[in-house]
Order: sequence, then C-alpha cells, then structure tokens
Amino acid sequence: MHPALNAILPERLRSILSRLDEAICAGLEELRVREGKPLEVNYDGRYAFVTPRGGLTMTPSESYKPDKEDCAKLLDIITNHSLYSFEEELRRGYITVRGGHRVGLAGRAVLDGGRVKLLRDISGFNIRLAREMRGVADKVVRLLIDQAAGSIHHTLVISPPQCGKTTLIRDLARILSEGSWGTAPGSAKGARGLKVGIVDERSEIAACVSGMPTFDVGPRTDVLDACPKAEGMMMMIRSLSPEVMIVDEIGRKEDADAIQEAMHAGIRIVATAHGRDVADVKRRPDLAPLFAASVFRRYVVLRGAEAGRAQLVYDQEERPLQTPHGKAVAAR
Amino acid sequence: MMKILGAVLIIGASTLFGYYKASLYAARPRQIRQLIHALKRLATEIGYGSTPLPEALARLSSQCSRPLNRMFGTIADRLRTGSSDTAKDVWQESVRLFWGQTAMKSPERETMLELGSSLGISDRENQLKHIELAVTLLQHEEAAARDEQLKYEKLSRSLGVLGGALIVILIY
Repeated sequence: MHPALNAILPERLRSILSRLDEAICAGLEELRVREGKPLEVNYDGRYAFVTPRGGLTMTPSESYKPDKEDCAKLLDIITNHSLYSFEEELRRGYITVRGGHRVGLAGRAVLDGGRVKLLRDISGFNIRLAREMRGVADKVVRLLIDQAAGSIHHTLVISPPQCGKTTLIRDLARILSEGSWGTAPGSAKGARGLKVGIVDERSEIAACVSGMPTFDVGPRTDVLDACPKAEGMMMMIRSLSPEVMIVDEIGRKEDADAIQEAMHAGIRIVATAHGRDVADVKRRPDLAPLFAASVFRRYVVLRGAEAGRAQLVYDQEERPLQTPHGKAVAAR
Repeated sequence: MMKILGAVLIIGASTLFGYYKASLYAARPRQIRQLIHALKRLATEIGYGSTPLPEALARLSSQCSRPLNRMFGTIADRLRTGSSDTAKDVWQESVRLFWGQTAMKSPERETMLELGSSLGISDRENQLKHIELAVTLLQHEEAAARDEQLKYEKLSRSLGVLGGALIVILIY
C-alpha cells in the first residue's frame, strides 16, 4: 500500500486497502471516504468501489461503507488529534498531510458574518495522492529558458485539475535551482543554479512539514509555506531576493498585481492557472491585466492524465514551439 | 519481652497507616490544584498557540510534578507514535491507568474522562469551553477536598495511634 495512506488511515480502512491489488495501488490517484457511502478509489483515470475483502466492484451494495467511527478516527489522525490547530485549513476545506498529499473535506459550513469560518460534522474525505516525478519537466525546460538572460522566461502553466501542473512546477523549481538545464546545445552559461522562491499557499509544491520541504525542490530554493500568494510574493521580493518566483494557481486580482510587481523587480515568474487552453485563461477577468500587458513569454498547456499526458509549449503570441511529434521547432 | 516488641510493632504499623491516610487527605487538594494549573496551561497552549495536542501535552508533562507528569507524558508519547487510536481512547486509558497512583478520587476522574471525550475534536473556542468546564468542576472538588483535609487529616493521624493502642490493650 502507499506509505502515505498507511500513515493516515485508521486500522479498519488500512487493513481493507492493504489487500488491494499492487497494480491498482501504483496507479492510485484518489481515495474517497464518505460516511455511510461506498469506499471509492480513483486510479488511472477510472473509479471503482472497494469490497470489505479489498477487491474492486462497481456495485455499491457489495462495497465496504465506512461508518461514523472510521470517519472520526480518520479526521483525528489527519489533524494530529488537534482539530483546533487546523482552523485555517478547515476554512479552506482541505488539509495537507505529511508527504504533500491533500485531504479535501466535506461537511457542514459554519458561517461568521457571511463568510465560511470553518467546517464541522465532517463526513466526506478526498485523499489526493501527490506524486513526486523527477524529470517530468526535463523535456519542456529547454523551451522555457531565456538563453540571453541565463534564466527562465515568464511562464504560465495551464491545465485542468489532475493533469500535473503542480508536479511540473515542482520539477521546474528543482531544475532551475540546481541549474541542471544547461545540457541544451549552445548554452554557453552551462549550469548555474538560480535563487528560486516558492510561495506555497496550499503546501502542495514543496509539501512542507514544520517548514521543511519534503519534496526535492533544489538546493537554492526558499519556500514560504502556507502563505497567501499575493502577500507572499511581496514578502519574497522584499526579503528573499529570488531570481525566479514560483506560485501555484493564480486567479485573483491581487495575484495579478503581485506578479506585475515582481516582474518590475526583475524577477522571473513561473505560475499555474486552471483552464483548458490559453484562450480559456484569457477569459478570466481578474487575470486580464496580465494578458493585456502580455507579460508571459511562454505558455505550457498540459493535456490528459497519466499515460496520455502531453506538454504543449507556446510562445507569447501563442505559436507552438513544438512539432506535432513533440520536437522543438527553431526558437523564435 | 516478645510481647512488648509485638506491641511496639502493632502500634508502629497502625501509626504509619494513620499518617499515610492523613497524607492522602493532604495530597488530594494539592494534586487537584496541580491538575487545574495543568489544564489552564493546556488552555493557553490551545487558545493562543494552537499547539497540536501531542506537543501541548508533552510540554505539560515537563512542567508538572509527579504523578501528573507521567500521565501527560504517556498520553503525549502514545499520540505521537502515530497509532490509529483516537485522542479520546488514549486519554481515557491513560487516565484510568495512572489514577491509582494519585491521591485523587472518582469525581475528579470522571471530570477528566469527560474532558478526554471532547479534546482535539472541535474548534478552538469549543475546546476552551470544555477545558473551562473541567476546571470549574475541579475547583469545586478542590474546595470539598480541602474541607475533608481539615476534618480528617489530624483525625486519621490520631486514629492510627489510638487504634494501635486499642489492639494492643485488647490482646494483652
């Protein structure tokens, strides 16, 4: 079984899932625990329910149904027996556990002045397994490098959920920080690591536990963990002097403002946004100023999950930088 | 000669027993007081520091004196080893296990067990209320325990000596 699940699941669920087929465990993306509803696994883009003996079924009546106690124990473990110290996370609706895995929560919202204060009566869990995939960015990084400046172009990574945005920028952080992209022919500067700053609002990029990254994000990387993006970017600019700044899931107006501020400070930006393609992201009103000033020099669009994954790179005028076979075309 | 030796032994034993009883009467309010202080510290850790329960209890354990330090220490250790037991189970088992080593009685134990069933499973405000409730109940018990101490501490000491004397007279 996945070691992360082993660490956070209560005994009964653990013993059921330990009997799951190895091949399914290897491709496991999500585990869904809902009180009184079938235990569900999502793997390789498919889903199935789990029987009490650890087999898979599509019939809900044959499946194991977690009870109140299972849910209470699961919540107790993922909150380190201290729900009260996760109020901020409860307000946002998810908890990041050791290893960078995100547990999404469903329950009843408690409001305070019209805003969600926290969740209570939590009865649904979505355990999303994070994967560290060293080398996923090896192919695209060459197309993103600004040879003249010896750094990376301002880059926006676009994809629907679950296509590997976070995995990609984590690997980019490592490569930039190590300076290990210099294998490209004609790069005179060779390997010079850059100072990389990551503003990791959801603790997903570096998966910090007590401030220490648990994923390899490179030797010259600083991580501002659990810090709101816009504010974190300003803090970074003021105090940590990064050469490249990496942020996940921009979408609000403050994010766009902070990115522009960073660019004026001479910092290269790598950001991600939800969307199917460039046009999709351009339609978002809060990000419009970024496109009006056409600040991003490279767009990376991710398609498909797992095996059928594709990374498409475009330049600032949205011209593809790859041939249909994935080879790089002459740099423009 | 043997008779006198026996009598001395009997009186000595019963006197010791009397003193032991008296020391329990004196220890109970003192330990309740310590427990109240510990819970207040826990409330501070939770309320201001949002410290996770295992760390908060480990800190309590280092600040308390015996036998409470061992109780809190055991709970903290068990929570930290990451077994799949809930905080409630661990807390209640440990309280039951260590209660025999304290001078406190069942009303205090019930309060602590009750507190255990709500620790760590709700938001901060709620946690503080539960701890506050436990502290209030313990303060009542402390007052009662002080009354008992005043009444029975000296009494049990004298009863020990006199009881021993009585036995000696009866069998002489």
